[in-house]
Amino acid sequence: MGEVILTMKEIDKFFPGVHALDHVSFEVRKGEVHALMGENGAGKSTLMKVLTGIYKKDSGTIIYEGKEVEFHNTREAQSAGVVIVHQELNMLGHLTVAQNIFIGREFKKGIAIDDKKMNEEAKKLFDRLHIDIDPTETMSNLTVGKQQMCEIAKAISHDAKVIVFDEPSAALTETEIEELFKIIRDLRKQQMGIVYISHRMDEIKVITDRVTVMRDGTYVGTLITEECTKDDIINMMVGRVIYEDPKQKSMVAKDAPVVLKVEHLNAGRMVQDVSFELHKGEILGFSGLMGAGRTETARAIFGADPKESGDIYINGEKVTINSPEDAVKCGIGYLSEDRKRYGIVVQKTVAENSTMATLEKYVKGLFIDKKAEREVSQEYVDSLDTKTPSINQLVVNLSGGNQQKVVIAKWLVRNCDILIFDEPTRGIDVGAKNEIYKLMNKLAEDGKSIIMISSEMTEILRMSDRIVVMCEGKKTGEIGIEEASQEAIMNMATREIS
Amino acid sequence: MEKIKHNPIVEKLGFNRIILCGVLILMYVFFTVFGDNFAGLPRILSALNYAYFLGFLSLGVTFVIATGGIDFSIGPVMFCSALVSGYCLTSYGVPVALSLVISILVGTLFGIFNGYLVAYWSVPPFIVSMASMNIAKGVASVFTKTQSVSWPQGTSEQGWFRNLVKVGNFPVGLVIFLVFAVICSIILNKTRAGRYILSLGSNKEAVRLSGVNVKKWEMLAYVICGILVGIAAIFFVAAYTTVQPGYGDSYNNEAIAGCVMGGTSMTGGLASIGGTVIGVFIIALLQEGILALHFSKDYQLIITGIIVIVAVYADVVARRRRN
Amino acid sequence: MSKNSVPNTQNKSVISRLGGQKFIVLLVVVGLIIFFSAVSPDFRKYSTAMSILDYSYYIALMAIGVTFPLITGGVDLSIGTGLICYSLTGGFLIVQKGWPVWAGMLMALLLSIVIGLLNGVLVSIMNLPPFLATLCTCMITRGLGSIFSNRLGISWPTSGTPGSWFRNIFKITVNGTKIPLGFLWVLLLVAVMAFVLNHTKIGRYTIAIGSNKEATILSGINVKFYHIMAYVISGLFAGLAAIAYSAVFSTVQPGTGAGFELEAIGGAIIGGVSASGGVGSVGGSLIGVFVICLLKTGLPYIGLQANWQQIITGLVLIGAVLVDIMKKKKEKI
Repeated sequence: MGEVILTMKEIDKFFPGVHALDHVSFEVRKGEVHALMGENGAGKSTLMKVLTGIYKKDSGTIIYEGKEVEFHNTREAQSAGVVIVHQELNMLGHLTVAQNIFIGREFKKGIAIDDKKMNEEAKKLFDRLHIDIDPTETMSNLTVGKQQMCEIAKAISHDAKVIVFDEPSAALTETEIEELFKIIRDLRKQQMGIVYISHRMDEIKVITDRVTVMRDGTYVGTLITEECTKDDIINMMVGRVIYEDPKQKSMVAKDAPVVLKVEHLNAGRMVQDVSFELHKGEILGFSGLMGAGRTETARAIFGADPKESGDIYINGEKVTINSPEDAVKCGIGYLSEDRKRYGIVVQKTVAENSTMATLEKYVKGLFIDKKAEREVSQEYVDSLDTKTPSINQLVVNLSGGNQQKVVIAKWLVRNCDILIFDEPTRGIDVGAKNEIYKLMNKLAEDGKSIIMISSEMTEILRMSDRIVVMCEGKKTGEIGIEEASQEAIMNMATREIS
Repeated sequence: MEKIKHNPIVEKLGFNRIILCGVLILMYVFFTVFGDNFAGLPRILSALNYAYFLGFLSLGVTFVIATGGIDFSIGPVMFCSALVSGYCLTSYGVPVALSLVISILVGTLFGIFNGYLVAYWSVPPFIVSMASMNIAKGVASVFTKTQSVSWPQGTSEQGWFRNLVKVGNFPVGLVIFLVFAVICSIILNKTRAGRYILSLGSNKEAVRLSGVNVKKWEMLAYVICGILVGIAAIFFVAAYTTVQPGYGDSYNNEAIAGCVMGGTSMTGGLASIGGTVIGVFIIALLQEGILALHFSKDYQLIITGIIVIVAVYADVVARRRRN
Repeated sequence: MSKNSVPNTQNKSVISRLGGQKFIVLLVVVGLIIFFSAVSPDFRKYSTAMSILDYSYYIALMAIGVTFPLITGGVDLSIGTGLICYSLTGGFLIVQKGWPVWAGMLMALLLSIVIGLLNGVLVSIMNLPPFLATLCTCMITRGLGSIFSNRLGISWPTSGTPGSWFRNIFKITVNGTKIPLGFLWVLLLVAVMAFVLNHTKIGRYTIAIGSNKEATILSGINVKFYHIMAYVISGLFAGLAAIAYSAVFSTVQPGTGAGFELEAIGGAIIGGVSASGGVGSVGGSLIGVFVICLLKTGLPYIGLQANWQQIITGLVLIGAVLVDIMKKKKEKI
């Protein structure tokens, strides 16, 4: 490990209503791989976005190569030598590899672009990284892994001195990860500073020199990788005090019937052989880290995305679900994590959204029975305590928590028995959160069965009767609330799969 | 200003619509002052003749635009309907009543074709429009062997259908058009079809995830449009008698102009039948006024083009501000 | 286009190595020629070939230009009526105002660039949907053309009169044989624009915009400028098409031109341009245009009205887009 090349000191960043980064410090040395770890929403990405100029910091200093700097956009950061390899790839699929690497700074020969030279330069880059990719290949023909290699090559072609890898392995196969590690080791040898964001504990042990852990927007500590164990890191990640009481025991009767049974569900890379059962009146928590495949599982069950194989049984009867229409007919309701895109129709009123899934029941002759619609929607506005000036208010004008209640009302009006809540409290303030929790508990008491997908450990422990843990598209564990603990869940959520 | 906007009566009628009515009246005053013999019944009746068929086109395309799509095959399809049914009437001796039905049928078929491709096959609406525009022209030309068709005069025995437009000086067409506008408004605002059409225009994925068969309802919008285009053809021939194959494109833009001027958003989800009706009257009055100023029809093309650009840009800006 | 459906370099199919869709469409062109020749003896005449070529020039030129907006994921519907407008404007200046022919041509081209620029600004800066913006300019150019020409047809100087030299650019008679020089120019322009598309910044960024506009902006490229350029190219080639049209046909009628754009856009899409952007080649567009021109000229020889061509073109266009959509669906799975 060489001298310090980058220091971030006391970085503060506020978002409306959130203190996203609270006096966070972080440093990178030349020739080290520094892991940045933390649960979802701990502030890792925010910190890196502040570094590369995507976000503007509110206070604190960044010292790079001995000078205080502030990058205003990624381009400035790039030309200074600080580059980020994003999790989502910014690729132009129709152009070739070399054309992608040099986009915006093409070599020219007269008025023509010198593709030959670009191919040669790209080849040189790949040789330096010991990667075998044809620079003239069209980008979309490459596997995700190879595309990632191209992103790295692009980063290095900017004469990078600090490279940030944001969950680079999430989409890679085992062999591709091996290749990636070889490259990273090479870069380390060339005295570059490398930041490595990942959830995979085993990788951290293999590739990194130091680990910095963040939690809830604060800096927790830095460890030397060789000197610590996986448990040390997990303890730092989850060491937060849980204010709300976790559920002590399951509220579900031992003999409660199975209402939903999913067997060997497969849908692409993110849903592999998932099986589980849901009992009447149960809240089944789905835990896991970002990209574990929980939302994908829910969407496949709901028929929103096509599935490859697997059987679904409702109340013991096998059903075919090929579209949300089928799912709704089976009594399943889905509350998406992204309400604005998938949940509500913003330019329609509370009443209109409430009956969206049930409109055929509110038709009298040819016309919509607006009186009945108003009555039922008022009924749910009252019973869910939705804060809205009137049921004729456009939902776009409601707060997040109240929009969520409108979506819940939509499925209650439909009288769905199985409800899938995907991140039910995301973007909702604390008070409204508690209300949603109370509501979910009440629904379960009333005999509704709930699948709750959540990335918040406290939420999982507070609400669930039983917890299913997923990791990289596979179910890695199932645990009753009695035995559940943050550590146990985190262990399953980060377990390496061979 | 804000006070006026929130006055209950104004809110009920819609601020934009009141402004549009003001524009309509100002235009009338302007043309009366500067145009030749603009005041008086003949000009108004002539403008109305133009408003009928254009109005039906505009009503139709309002449904399509409400879904976030577009259909600019409506002009040529209207001509195709008029030509095919007219040719049946004049060359095959099909009775007038049946010919009118054929006209509506042709329009509906095109609506089904367009809607199916857009909703079930996800072909971009503008490609579908372009294709069916030419298919409509081709079918019309092939069917009529590239001859123009003249519908019977009002004086002849078969001319009864002209009473649809006017009896004496009484504008029957206006009554029929307004009745249809009311029906369209009811469909759009009071039925399941309208609710789903508007909702899927606003957020298709959310509606799909509510368990609604969005493909069916999206297609329906195009079919409704097709039916109205077929009706537009009837009003066109009742007012103008002769139809030539190979034309009809210029009405696309005028119909879309009437629609977007009236406050229907090009991105879907927001539509106002009342606004469309006023928009259509503005376009029709403009057409008549330009003639009264002794300008050619060509100026109308240009002005309508500019109107659409301005109206859509206003929508783009308004949307940006909302976000 | 088919390049994308091939998983890797090692096992490219024979067809994709020969140019993919381009190759198949070329086979269709040859097949059509054989079919029409076999059915109709008249089709085999030299004069038929000449008339097919005469029809092909202006459509081919428009198709070359419109390939650019199509690759950005947009469309230019104003090229058809634009062509007539530019031709009328140039003709009016030459015939009525006594301008020299070259000056008239220059004005036509200038106007075409202005309209292209207008389209570009509407789409790129004002963010209007491309089909709507160009539908409006389509109507505007139609109106302008009629106004400039006073609603009368205009004939550019006819053969034999002074100033008719420009007609020889496209068709020259040597020893009584007509030689289709225009085809040479079309090929030359295809080569030039293929170069622009594949080897210059304009082309590179045109593809980039159609491929992923957000990522292109993030790469620090002046997307607005290059987006406008695509429409300017489209406009300019509509202007060149106007000159070809005026040289080949004796009279230009105001109010016509609607429908030309479909033949050009249809040709481009048949030739492998994706309706959703990012993919396309200038050469492919040219071959696609010949499918349409052959149908247009060939159908009457087998006893069908020329208007069948409109219907068939419409259906073929939808077919070509459907093939593209199916291919993408397959790739996703």
